[in-house]
Amino acid sequence: MNQAEVSKLVSKLRINVPPTHRKLRSPKGPEGRIDKLRKTVTGLVKFERIELNYNRADEARQYTERLISEAIRHGDCHKPTMDTANFWLLEKELIHKLFKVLVPRYETSNSSYTRLINAPKPQYGRNIDKVVLELKGNPFPDLINNNTNNKLLIQNVLLDAAKQDYRQSKINEIAKNIGKTENAPLNESSKKPEAPEKPVES
Amino acid sequence: MALAIRRSTSEVYGAAKWFIRRDCRVLSTLPEKAVEVPVETKQERPAVSRIRASARNPNLALRHVYPEFLPDPNPKWRNSLREKLERIDMLNRRKQIDIPEFYVGSILAVTVADPHAQGKTNRFVGICIERKGAGLRAEFTLRNVVDHQGVEVRYDLYDPTVHSIQVLRLEKRLDEKLLYLRDALPEYSTFPFDMDPEILPDGTPVPVNPVQVKLKPRPWLERWERQELQGVSNIEEHLKEKDRVRRELRKEPWEKYDLMKQYRRTIPIEDQNDIWAEVNHQLKQLQLTRKKVSRKRTFGVPKTQLG
Amino acid sequence: MRRQILCLSTKITHNSCTKALPLTRFLSSQEAIDRRYHLFTLEKKRQLDKVGRVEKIEVQYKGVPNDCTLVMNKGISTPYDCARHLSEWHTDTSALALLDGSVYWDMHRPLTENCTLELQHFRVPEPQQVNRAFWRTCSFMLGACATVAFKDTVPVKLHSFPGPDIRSGSFIYDVQLPTLKDWKPSQQELITLSAEYVKLVRQNEPLERLEVSEELALEMFVENEHKTRQIPSIARNHGKVTLYKVGKHVDISKGPMISNTKQIGRVAVVSVHKLNGNSEVNQLYRFQGVALPTGVIINHFAFSILTERAKKLNTVKSPIPKPLEREESESIAMKA
Repeated sequence: MNQAEVSKLVSKLRINVPPTHRKLRSPKGPEGRIDKLRKTVTGLVKFERIELNYNRADEARQYTERLISEAIRHGDCHKPTMDTANFWLLEKELIHKLFKVLVPRYETSNSSYTRLINAPKPQYGRNIDKVVLELKGNPFPDLINNNTNNKLLIQNVLLDAAKQDYRQSKINEIAKNIGKTENAPLNESSKKPEAPEKPVES
Repeated sequence: MALAIRRSTSEVYGAAKWFIRRDCRVLSTLPEKAVEVPVETKQERPAVSRIRASARNPNLALRHVYPEFLPDPNPKWRNSLREKLERIDMLNRRKQIDIPEFYVGSILAVTVADPHAQGKTNRFVGICIERKGAGLRAEFTLRNVVDHQGVEVRYDLYDPTVHSIQVLRLEKRLDEKLLYLRDALPEYSTFPFDMDPEILPDGTPVPVNPVQVKLKPRPWLERWERQELQGVSNIEEHLKEKDRVRRELRKEPWEKYDLMKQYRRTIPIEDQNDIWAEVNHQLKQLQLTRKKVSRKRTFGVPKTQLG
Repeated sequence: MRRQILCLSTKITHNSCTKALPLTRFLSSQEAIDRRYHLFTLEKKRQLDKVGRVEKIEVQYKGVPNDCTLVMNKGISTPYDCARHLSEWHTDTSALALLDGSVYWDMHRPLTENCTLELQHFRVPEPQQVNRAFWRTCSFMLGACATVAFKDTVPVKLHSFPGPDIRSGSFIYDVQLPTLKDWKPSQQELITLSAEYVKLVRQNEPLERLEVSEELALEMFVENEHKTRQIPSIARNHGKVTLYKVGKHVDISKGPMISNTKQIGRVAVVSVHKLNGNSEVNQLYRFQGVALPTGVIINHFAFSILTERAKKLNTVKSPIPKPLEREESESIAMKA
């Protein structure tokens, strides 16, 4: 059992964080891992959408989220944060982008700042999970367009009609019952087989 | 009881030396932990961001005083129900005995029940060299030199056999852990058992003792030279060229930028806010009652030498 | 081939409806289907041959991956051919073509002039027309399913199907089963019907469209008195009857329809109701089903709600504008 470190405060990430870090194979060991991640984080902040292997993307995603949340919390006048940004962003003009573009973009957001989407695997070659890692609110067209919330889609039209139908039948039933509350048990027994109960959840 | 109380003039001198040194604490370069809180409470911008708003919670300052209320950050050991139950138990225990605020480097006197001791209790005085564990398993280690023999006793903070914990001197040191005292000269970890408690006036920040200890020559228990210790003065004397080279090779300057490593070691602000909101009221109540009691007790106690 | 057709057309001109009636006696349902299919292919071939010299048209394609201009053959190339120039995804998912932003065009109907082309699939932001085409196709396929599902001893006469109404919860085909009185299909029979439907769908046949003259249409549906009665009123406006063919099944429909039967995904034939109180047509049964396009993933529970609802008698009345059957369709509506 360890005690939580109290000297530093961090804000909670809105993504799932695995219990341990992932080793990215490198001849330089842990330093090489950090170097790889620095490159990826820089690339992500620069291009806003990159395609890469899942392992590295998932790690880089966590670091990017942390970097952005630190930048949001402390702003650009906090020296340690500036140092961290300087370390993680290899191209120095990206530091300006971080504090002047990304921080205002994500300041009021309530969800994670990045998105990880599975990409198609190459048909031949090594069987490695590929993903697309992107910053939310990037200028590119959406990758996911399964807008199944569209009310005009056929399945939604059908379900909506079914719901309305069910409600109508319920209302009719209630209306009948109100009229005949005195001899209700007799009526209900005769009515029930006509209108089978149909729960609608959609 | 084997631990005899012994005081020599040199010990008194050593202690006095520290008090003199403590005058210089203004010059201490260690970033004070409390510094972070006022920065956050600064109301520069309107609270548009949830992150910034949640970081301004004043309750967060409690984490220095009651670190054991935060759960173990390792998600393997997390269990919200168990943590909650433990917090309730801890508060209940704190109603029974006064567990004061103390830090690594503070000097404590702990009285525990001991069926084999003469008065059925055993009192031990020492410097706290380590605080560990979360929840009911929180523990601390006291170190003292008794009869030229280093003694360390590990106490569970919420152990029901503990009768009382008394802070004789409330202060911090330059390092998070003082395990290097084991390899330091004995005078640095020698404290008299009949030390009088020093009472800090209300509202003063916890002083940082900038004393730098002298290590005994090697062999050591650990490779202290690789740990970037602030509180050791003569570490370079004992190093060979080989050690210096290896120290350079072993340095990990990227570690302080490893944001996820930091993250995995701490409890995030949002989680902490929930915890402190849960226990804050009761902790404040306990503090108030303790203050009343101590005010009665301190009446008539002579003012001790303080910097 | 042309001679054959000519021969046929002369025969058609000489034939009248009354004269055709004796012929029906000798046509079993399978023979009738084959004959209709044969006539359809001949007529299609004739119409293609009639195009003559190939002229080029420019089709401005709009949409993913990028806008482009395709040079196609006038009267021969279809939107499907344009989609084949783009990618497999386009050919597979496109259900309807939208010409000039306003005209909905079948995927297998030849283009006749310069136009802009947008391909519509089931997930476009405004899929009403695609949905209608899908529902219409499902009804059409239900007719095909009904003709093949019964044994030879049970004559099946397709009557008609109303226009697509998705909110009613089910697609319909009205079929006359003259030899079956008070048939109530068991659960097993319904499952068999659904299986037949799925079999048809799995053949992955394209839906081909053809406009034929009234005479030829009458000749094709000579054994089906309901259709022969409907054809004159359908052809009243511009003397043409629109036919659709899938596999060997040919039927009358206004269109447009979707591109291929493989775009029909989950499907269930849910119930068959007898439409009573019909003076003119005896033993008229209303087949009802519910279907979803390929790729629509829906929870089994939600689908069970849809099927439960589709089991109720759908009271949509037949929209075919025929003075002869107006009372009849009204009577259906009143009854239901």
